[in-house]
Amino acid sequence: MDNAVKIQEYDDPSYDPFSADDINFGDTPDPYPLIAQWRAQAPVLEGDYRPKMGLQSATYPDRKSFTVVGSDEVLTVLTDTDRFSNHGYRFNIGETFGQGSISVMDNPEHGRWRKIFQKIFLPQYVKLWGDTIVDPVVNDLMAGFVGTGRADLIEQFTLLYPFEVIYRQLDLPAADVRTFQRLAIGQTDYMHIDKAMEASRKLGDYFTALVVERRRNPGEDLVSLLANTEVDGDYLPELVLISFLRQLMNAAGDTTYRGTSILLTALLENPDQFDAVRADHKLIPLAIEEALRWDGPVAVQLRMAKEDVVLGGVEIPAGSLLDVVAGAANRDPAIFPDPDRFDLFRDRKAHFAFSRGPHICVGQHLARVEMTRALIAVMENLPNLRFDPDQPRPEIRGSMMRVPRHLHVRFGD
Amino acid sequence: MPNLMVTTRDGDERQIAAETGLSLMEAIRDAGMDEMLALCGGCCSCATCHVKVDPAFAGLLPPISEDESDLLDSSDHRDATSRLSCQIPLTAEMDGLRVAIAPED
Repeated sequence: MDNAVKIQEYDDPSYDPFSADDINFGDTPDPYPLIAQWRAQAPVLEGDYRPKMGLQSATYPDRKSFTVVGSDEVLTVLTDTDRFSNHGYRFNIGETFGQGSISVMDNPEHGRWRKIFQKIFLPQYVKLWGDTIVDPVVNDLMAGFVGTGRADLIEQFTLLYPFEVIYRQLDLPAADVRTFQRLAIGQTDYMHIDKAMEASRKLGDYFTALVVERRRNPGEDLVSLLANTEVDGDYLPELVLISFLRQLMNAAGDTTYRGTSILLTALLENPDQFDAVRADHKLIPLAIEEALRWDGPVAVQLRMAKEDVVLGGVEIPAGSLLDVVAGAANRDPAIFPDPDRFDLFRDRKAHFAFSRGPHICVGQHLARVEMTRALIAVMENLPNLRFDPDQPRPEIRGSMMRVPRHLHVRFGD
Repeated sequence: MPNLMVTTRDGDERQIAAETGLSLMEAIRDAGMDEMLALCGGCCSCATCHVKVDPAFAGLLPPISEDESDLLDSSDHRDATSRLSCQIPLTAEMDGLRVAIAPED
């Protein structure tokens, strides 16, 4: 690697971006009873979601906010792009990932760039990464604790493997990885916005130099692929390219870590269902989809009203911000009877965990491949897997983003 | 207002009356056939509105774009009659169009 590509630590190296998770994304053990109360009250409520969940309100400009919990209204806001815009994200993720993030754009601009990223992550391509990237990462990590009979499957496995997959996709030098992860996570520390902006700037400098280097010396990695992709005879715009690379760690790493952690927790809490999956691997996709529905990692999406609208009987002025609670739609008893129960055998209905509409998760197929490979590795390498009786049970926490912090298990013997 | 014949995954055939100007996906979804997921809402960003079109009507369809073709390649059930129904605007000439909702991937 060219010496010009240098990663820069935070000016204050003692800053810990991981510890800011609770104030950014909440530590509520179970937000769903409260969401159910709101749903019973009205499909659309005045005010934003964060303070309703006991969190500090987000740093949005002074404008009205609403929280959308009715399933029909959630679907309308996510799919009716004539009336609802993604520009609300300009105030948070646009500031740190960059205003070239496709998440902050509306069609047709959004579609022009999305289709380039979308093509890379189509199922027929990402399933090849299952063998070449995901399995080696998962097996390496598991080799570190498989002989010990006990582990914290979060700290030692799920918190590591999706990020390791990205480092290999990007072909990052091993020496850069730790700082890289700290910067990537810090980008969403909106409650310490100076740190988030510092992380964004330093990650941007790093990727800008890396793109130059990979144009000179292209490899087989994702940075090389994107750096050398041409649209109408030109490279992707710098802003779009760097924003995408900045967003990748959070979009592909953080979400998959959370989703896999919740999947393993749900199966361990429901040993009959875990046994059924062990006996028949064809049930793996059902288990994954049910985990995503039951407690998807990303509970809320943000949209902005483009014009004055009436939604669920509530008048919403143009420019208002809407917290669209995917987690509410995923627990709607009218769609999913007995919604609080994890039941992989329930009637399959499309869930909202990857959102809906034109911004539906680009990485959803890779997420499924990763979760599948991780679950298979757990089942094949950790026989007689069970909660560690000497340690606390896992608690899934968070109101914006959900995850258990620890998953202490025993296995073997 | 063209009439369409839509076969569900169970093999039931239903006639629906559709507005021209809508996409085939919107017509099927608006008729209440909820196995037509169309998760992205109709902008060629997923492959959950996959249908098989009766070859007798192939000449009435717009050509397949590269993006649509890439998405169709993600299905295990693609064949020569496969289309994403969000990419087919309905016209009056399509009266009698026969389509089947493709199996779920």
